[in-house]
Amino acid sequence: MVGLPGRGMHLGIDPLSALFLCLLAPQVLAAAIAAEGKSVAFWVFVLGMVLTLLAADSFALILGFELMSAASWLLVLRGDRRPALLYAGIALFSGACLIPAVFLPAGGLAFALLLLGAGAKAGLAPLHSWLPRAHPAPSAGVSAVMSGGMVSVALYVIIRYGFIVFGNAVQPWWGTALMAAGAASVLIGALRAMLEVELKTVLACSTVEHMGLIAVGLGVGLRARALDDPALASLALQAALLCALAHALFKPLLFLGAGAVRHATGTTSLDWLGGLMRGMPKMGVLMLAGAAGMAALPLGPGFAPEFLLLHAVIAAAGLGGVMGWIGFTALLAVLGLGAALALAASVRMIGFGFLGRPRSLHAAAAEEADKFTLIGMGILAMGCVPLALTPGLVLRAIAPVISQLVPGALPQPLAYAPLPLAVLMAGLAAVAFFALRRFGARGEREVAAWNGGFGKPPIWLPFGDPATQPIASGFAEPVRRVLGSALLGPAGLDPGERFILAPLSRLRVRLTRLAEWVRRATIRQRLAFVFAVLVMFLLALGLGQDG
Amino acid sequence: MLTLLLRCVASLLHAGLMLGLAPLLIGLVGKFRARLLGRRGPVIWQPYRDLWKLIHKIPLIPDTATELYKIWPFVGFAAIAAVALLVPGFALNLVSARYSDFITIIGLFALSRAAVMLAGLETGFGFGAAGAGRDALFSIFSEAALLVVVLVFGLIAGDPTVDGTATEFGFGQIGVSVSLGFALVAMLAVAVTETGRIPVDNPAGHLELAMVHEAMLLEYSGRYLALFQYAAALRLMIWFSLIATLFFPFGMAQAGNILSWPLGLLSWLAKLGVLTVALGLFEISTAKMRVFRVPEFLGVALLLGLLSAIFLFVAGRLNG
Repeated sequence: MVGLPGRGMHLGIDPLSALFLCLLAPQVLAAAIAAEGKSVAFWVFVLGMVLTLLAADSFALILGFELMSAASWLLVLRGDRRPALLYAGIALFSGACLIPAVFLPAGGLAFALLLLGAGAKAGLAPLHSWLPRAHPAPSAGVSAVMSGGMVSVALYVIIRYGFIVFGNAVQPWWGTALMAAGAASVLIGALRAMLEVELKTVLACSTVEHMGLIAVGLGVGLRARALDDPALASLALQAALLCALAHALFKPLLFLGAGAVRHATGTTSLDWLGGLMRGMPKMGVLMLAGAAGMAALPLGPGFAPEFLLLHAVIAAAGLGGVMGWIGFTALLAVLGLGAALALAASVRMIGFGFLGRPRSLHAAAAEEADKFTLIGMGILAMGCVPLALTPGLVLRAIAPVISQLVPGALPQPLAYAPLPLAVLMAGLAAVAFFALRRFGARGEREVAAWNGGFGKPPIWLPFGDPATQPIASGFAEPVRRVLGSALLGPAGLDPGERFILAPLSRLRVRLTRLAEWVRRATIRQRLAFVFAVLVMFLLALGLGQDG
Repeated sequence: MLTLLLRCVASLLHAGLMLGLAPLLIGLVGKFRARLLGRRGPVIWQPYRDLWKLIHKIPLIPDTATELYKIWPFVGFAAIAAVALLVPGFALNLVSARYSDFITIIGLFALSRAAVMLAGLETGFGFGAAGAGRDALFSIFSEAALLVVVLVFGLIAGDPTVDGTATEFGFGQIGVSVSLGFALVAMLAVAVTETGRIPVDNPAGHLELAMVHEAMLLEYSGRYLALFQYAAALRLMIWFSLIATLFFPFGMAQAGNILSWPLGLLSWLAKLGVLTVALGLFEISTAKMRVFRVPEFLGVALLLGLLSAIFLFVAGRLNG
């Protein structure tokens, strides 16, 4: 039997872990079908995540968490060596924070360590900058489960300890800290998702944004719970959990699609893609569904959580003092910026990857993804349907989790009704369609694009002059000029890299130089050093005796 | 039962008026602007003629467009038309009142904007992408400002729907306040941006490089262009109705009470007229901004929204 001596290891299942197991199942199934079914490291990775979710004591939780970290490190290493070192460092850091956190008595210190450890793993700002580097590195199936599952498991640890294990010691500032980290992640993640060029990096940045949204929901819930407001806490938790569910469906879907794009064209750079909807129509439509979720558009899977979250923040603003009032108003503005940026990033992904003209021969020659990838993506897209059209039923299904997390929870009915809205919009579109058929001219003609009167391209350029095409970086240029230089600095570096990774790397260089200097010291320098230490030691001893 | 029937009739009337009068509103604004500039201007039902002309033309589909080229106009139109049915016009308490949540409406605006942006990117030529990039930039600030204004409404009225907020503003004990004034200015700035009017965008512009909304539609023709233009007209109608309903709710009818309808209709038309005049005067008195000035313009709107929330708090402290 594994486990602490004399205590053993305990596994158990309750509504919260059941919810996260349900969240994990479709993406693991999809990834296994699409690509990763035969990889041992992948299944060890999944086993680590399941163990974390099923753990009923701290030891089992840490064991599962570290198993997950180690296996995913191996998978990252197999994809790309460069981010693997950074990834290992972050994993060690999060382990070093989590292990004391779970064994400390409940209190502020334990929660702060927990937030650092699990937050670093979940990609919450300011410890997020590893995520856009490491998540795109492994193959698509692993990226999918890392971005949809692993980060959610880290959030599960925060929920499990913040709400249940440390539940009686909860303080309002815990929620505030979580909200601040979440808001920063939303802003940075959404902005970088808009500016990055590699498709998989865009998706990883969008993961940072969604983790931020979930953290904001959890933060509002934790604060409301500490201030004894079960109605608001339930609303915020509904938002957070629904967001986690939606994200665990559409993000793996998009990552699997990105893998198929790389397989078909040899690149994931949006600046070299284009027109993939012609070569891979089925996958294009599936990607469109995922992008609708990523953009939180109505009738997509991402809108109901966004709706609940905004309402939770609006409701929270009415409570608390002037700082809370101003803070929640600013938080809402940040969420608005983030939502619009996410929309723009999704439009950019679809518009430059799948619509328009091919920007390279590889993109022009892309063929449909293989059957297994399409099946895997199809499973995830089917999973999105209940979230998109009947989020009320999903909320009713997760009500036990809410009442487990918040004593005396009051689950709120959902004021957003997608089904009537979908019927209304379908009706309006149908009326427009038939009216145009009845009263308008029939038929249409295919011609060369007008393009403001630009000349028709010569015959040997089937998709027009490649130099006259807009590229994804150009689309993001206005945003880069206005927001990018303000938030990311003139070099466009992520603040997480500029203020945390860069100083760390400078420190490492300095320590290496010091060690090198010690190694190269002559015998006289070394003797002098030893002598100096001896003198200092005796001096200290003497002074100590005198005093 | 009778009330429900009346509400249904009122909703149908509302739908008919919103969808039917939207091009007229565009025509009125155009006519009024032309008169102010000393021109005679087109007749006010010119937009109807333009739409009629467009749907009788055979659309030319660019050969670089994908299959989705024909889907975007319908998505953009359906989302905007749904908003038109949700936002109250002449009467409150329509059948759709329960669903007229602010966040849903913002989401539907975003959906329609996404459809237009994707339409601009559809053919892969420069002007559409440039317009879409600019629209993305504007939407980032306008959405944030709008959400903050919605927060102020939610805090004052305590109701998440447009209908409930308007009811509270019209019949509750709200009174005139500084924060509502700031919110109005912020909302007007967002409205000017969302409807693509001067100084943010010029709907009558003919220089592709300076266009935003029209640049995304350059490759569209025939009935598909008609749908987009009709949706743009509806957007102006919706914003006028939204501002009239929220900030000037006096005289609005109750859908269940048929006797209040004539006054409601008259006051709604009068408010639309006043807003038309205001828009016309504003448009001729300013010039179109540079694209990179617009974020500053909207940043001011966002700041006013934040100030409005803070003033609200201070006022609450002073009163309570």
